[in-house]
This record gives sequence, C-alpha cells and structure tokens, in this order.
Amino acid sequence: MSETRSRYVPPTGGLPSTAFPGPASRSSPSRTPSGRASRHALCLWLPTLELRLELVRTPELDATSVALLSTGGGTRRTLWQVSERAHQAGVRPGQLVSQAVSLCPSLTLLEPDPAHYDAAEEAMLEVLGDLTPVVEPAGRGRVFLGMDGLGRLYGSPPNQARRALRALFRVFPAPLVAATRGGWAPGKFGAWVAAAEARPGEPVVVGSDEELLPFLARCPASALPVEESTLQRLERLGITTLGELARLPEAALVEQFGEEGRNALGWATGRRIDPVRPWHRPRPIRVSLDFPVPVAQNGPLHSTLDRLLERALSRPARRGRSVAGVRLGARLEGGGSWTVDHVLREATARPEPIAFALRSRMELYPPPRAVDSLFLELVQFGPATTQTTLFDRKEGATREDGGSDLAEGHVAPSLRDAVRELKLRIGHSPLYRVVEVDPWSRIPERRHALLTFDP
Amino acid sequence: MRGAPSPPPRLRPLNEPRAVQVRTDGRGVPVAVRLDGRARSVETVRETWRIDDEWWRAPISRLYHDVVLEDGHFLILYHDLVRKRWFLQG
Repeated sequence: MSETRSRYVPPTGGLPSTAFPGPASRSSPSRTPSGRASRHALCLWLPTLELRLELVRTPELDATSVALLSTGGGTRRTLWQVSERAHQAGVRPGQLVSQAVSLCPSLTLLEPDPAHYDAAEEAMLEVLGDLTPVVEPAGRGRVFLGMDGLGRLYGSPPNQARRALRALFRVFPAPLVAATRGGWAPGKFGAWVAAAEARPGEPVVVGSDEELLPFLARCPASALPVEESTLQRLERLGITTLGELARLPEAALVEQFGEEGRNALGWATGRRIDPVRPWHRPRPIRVSLDFPVPVAQNGPLHSTLDRLLERALSRPARRGRSVAGVRLGARLEGGGSWTVDHVLREATARPEPIAFALRSRMELYPPPRAVDSLFLELVQFGPATTQTTLFDRKEGATREDGGSDLAEGHVAPSLRDAVRELKLRIGHSPLYRVVEVDPWSRIPERRHALLTFDP
Repeated sequence: MRGAPSPPPRLRPLNEPRAVQVRTDGRGVPVAVRLDGRARSVETVRETWRIDDEWWRAPISRLYHDVVLEDGHFLILYHDLVRKRWFLQG
C-alpha cells in the first residue's frame, strides 16, 4: 500500500473543530494545562484508511493495481490514494487519470464513498472513547488519545498502546488493525513522530520527557509541522535531523525563521508539549429522503434540499441554536456516495442563506452520477439567534404565512384575533415585537428593544 | 376584591447583560462560569474583542469573550473593566 506521509498539524487557536482544537501550550511538568487536556498522548495512525476500507469491501482487488479517485467532479479527475502494486507501476497520488492509466493500463479506478469512510471513523472514535474520555481526531485515519492517569487501568505505556490497538478489532477487520501504527509519547508531536516511525502493529513508546529528546534527535527535520519553504531552507543549511536543529541557538533560529523557528526548536527539543484536548462535536442533526427513481436533474434536487432544510431546522434538537456548518450528501446510483461540506460565514437559523450556499456548492461540485437518496446534516452550531425579523415592520419577516404582510404593516386576521383573545383573558397583550433602537450601537443591549405588539 | 394586574411596560430592554460568576486563569481568560448554580468549564475561547465607548459620559469598557462550554453550549461573556465584574450577554 503506497502511503502518503501525512504531516503533523499543530493546534490552531480557539476553534472547536475536527482539526486540532485549543491553543498550543508550553510544557507543564506538574499538571495538565486545563482540567480536561492530557499531556501524554497515544497516536493511532492508519495510512490510506479510505482505500483500505474499499479493499475490505472488495477483497478481490487486494492484490491488484487499484486507485481511489479524488472527491469532487470535473472532467480532469486526479488520484487520491493508490495501492502498492499501482505505486510500483509508477502511479502516484495527484496524477491525472489519463496519466495513471497510461502508466498502468490494468489500473482499477474506484469512486470515493465519503459517507462510508465517515461512518467508519465515527465507529472508531466511539470505540476509542470507551478507553479514554480524551479523544482528539486529526483527520480521517489518525487520532490522538489522552493517556494521563490510565496507568492503573491499563498498565504501562506499551500495554496502553496495545490495548488501544486491540480495541480497534471491535470495529475493523484484522487486516486494517494490522496496518495501524501507534506512538506513545509526551505531547502530540512526539506521539505522532513515534507513530510515523513505528511498524504496523508494533507501537513505539517514548515513556518519559527524558527519553523524548534522544528519540526526537534522530528523527528527520521534515517531520516538523512548518512551512515547506522553511523545510527547504533547513535542508539547504544542512540541517536534516531534529537533533541538529536542537543544537542551534534560539536567537539565530528566530532571526532566520521568525516565530516558526522558535516553534520548531520547541518541538525538536521536546520543550513544546501540545496536550491532547477532548473533542466535543455536537451530535449532528440528520434528515434524508429517498427517491423512487434515481435523480440527476438540479431542479428536483434543489426542491428536495429545501424540504430537507425545513425539516432539519424545525427539529426540537436544533432549538436554541443557530447553524454554522452543514453537510449535504447523497447515495449514488450504482453505489458510492457524494458529500459537500459548507461552513457559513455567519451562523443563522434561516433556511435561505443555507440553501443558497449549498446550491452554489452543488453547482461547483455536482454529484458524479444520478442520486438515489439525499441527506442533509447540521454539523456545527452557533449561539441562539435574535429573530429580529419576526415582527419587525421594517424588514421582511421570515414566516411563510403573512410574513411579508407584517413587514408592510398589515397584520393577519388570525394574529389580530389571537391578540384580542389574550387581552380579554389577561388584560393586556403579552406579545412583543423587536424594534430597532440604535442598530449601529457598539453596546449590544442598546441596538434593539421589545415593544408591545398590540395591532 | 383584587384589582387587575398592571400591564407590563410597553418598551422593554432586549439582550440585557446578566451578572455571573466567572473563574479566570492568570491571563484573565475565562476557564469556568457558574450558571444555574453549577460551575461549567470553558472548553474554548473562540474570539475576544474589546469595546470602549461613552468616555465623555459614564465610560463603558468591556472585554468580550465568545466561549464554548464543555457541554457544547455557546456563550458570550464580558468583563466590565470599569465595574470589575463579569456579565453574560447572549
């Protein structure tokens, strides 16, 4: 199996996501930086997980030249992952299909099935969550587990690593588990490098901070999560290992490479320890619809999308939260799946901007074949919205029945009757509408107010 | 004989801040907030911004934090730099 060497990606600041949530932290010898993060990390890495899952589904392709196509449509498709035999024939990820087939005429091309891969990853994360509450995914096929305090449960670090690998048998067949690499070390960078150095099924353990520096010293400088240009400059300077980098003075590195140089030195010397932070993904809200016959035209897909959006937004689980990220997907005719993800610039609970964004994505990346079923997932959420358009007479309201009438000052008879009845029962109208007071104010509580709604 | 209850005021404020107890780290970043009698940890601070206004009147100076709690809920907290108190707003 040809493996693309993934690079460690350091934490980005402040965003809960499927990447590396949480800010980077300096080493803290006595305790973890926050109550939930874990200083000691176990990295499990299953390279080319997606292609391996396909080969599990179709075992007869295992010993052949196979390549997984990249997601997304277009006429010039490229390869995403390739099997070992294909690699031996000169086929590489990123090549155009035409190039690859000319190099290997017997190459079998597979359409990706992202829904299947996501389901496999979810199953893996769930089973690993039984071992430790601190689970941080880092891209499909790679996950960091927080191992602080688990010595009493699972024993020494090598036992902990083996226990984690054995847990994967609950969701993956033996060939997949056998291909998994494991690395245990203080901090995520150390654990990742250990996993990358490990042989499948034989985890590498760096048991303490004292062992970390000599272990990192012999690792290649290309393992650093820095810009490609920085790596090239280091190579030109003759610095090929982390040990050589660690011997350089910090001031010189900062002068040459700025903050990236300081970070690189921190990783190379083991002084920078990125803890594993638990990943909190809110449970997505999913709705789907099956078509009686496969559908390829945009019109029916767009109207189905509108219906799915309406259903998803009206789910009780969505109340009190706006939507910040969505995924639209489909089961394709003949097998396989298609998905597009979109993160909204501004979280909203209104269907129009979400539908517009997803339709645009469908235009850019249309399903490659006719669609058997369409599904929509609300995957990221934001704070509750202030529905200023509900009763505001200046802007158009969003309610379907009589919404535009309210904007023009005309109140629907049913609403008028409801207010009259409430006034009879309790003596006054308990309804309010949101009015603008000082919408440009920097003080949030001065922008809008509630005015009694009494038509 | 009891009189009818007086109607509520016609104009009411919206999005008024509410005083809360917040625990911070050494840099003043919130790490926990007490809500409904229970302390909840802050998982992530998504964004921080400051507003300073009305210096000519009663100065308003607030440091806002958009946070995500451990249970996934989103909150907007601010530290009133004049009154030295924490408030929840949204």
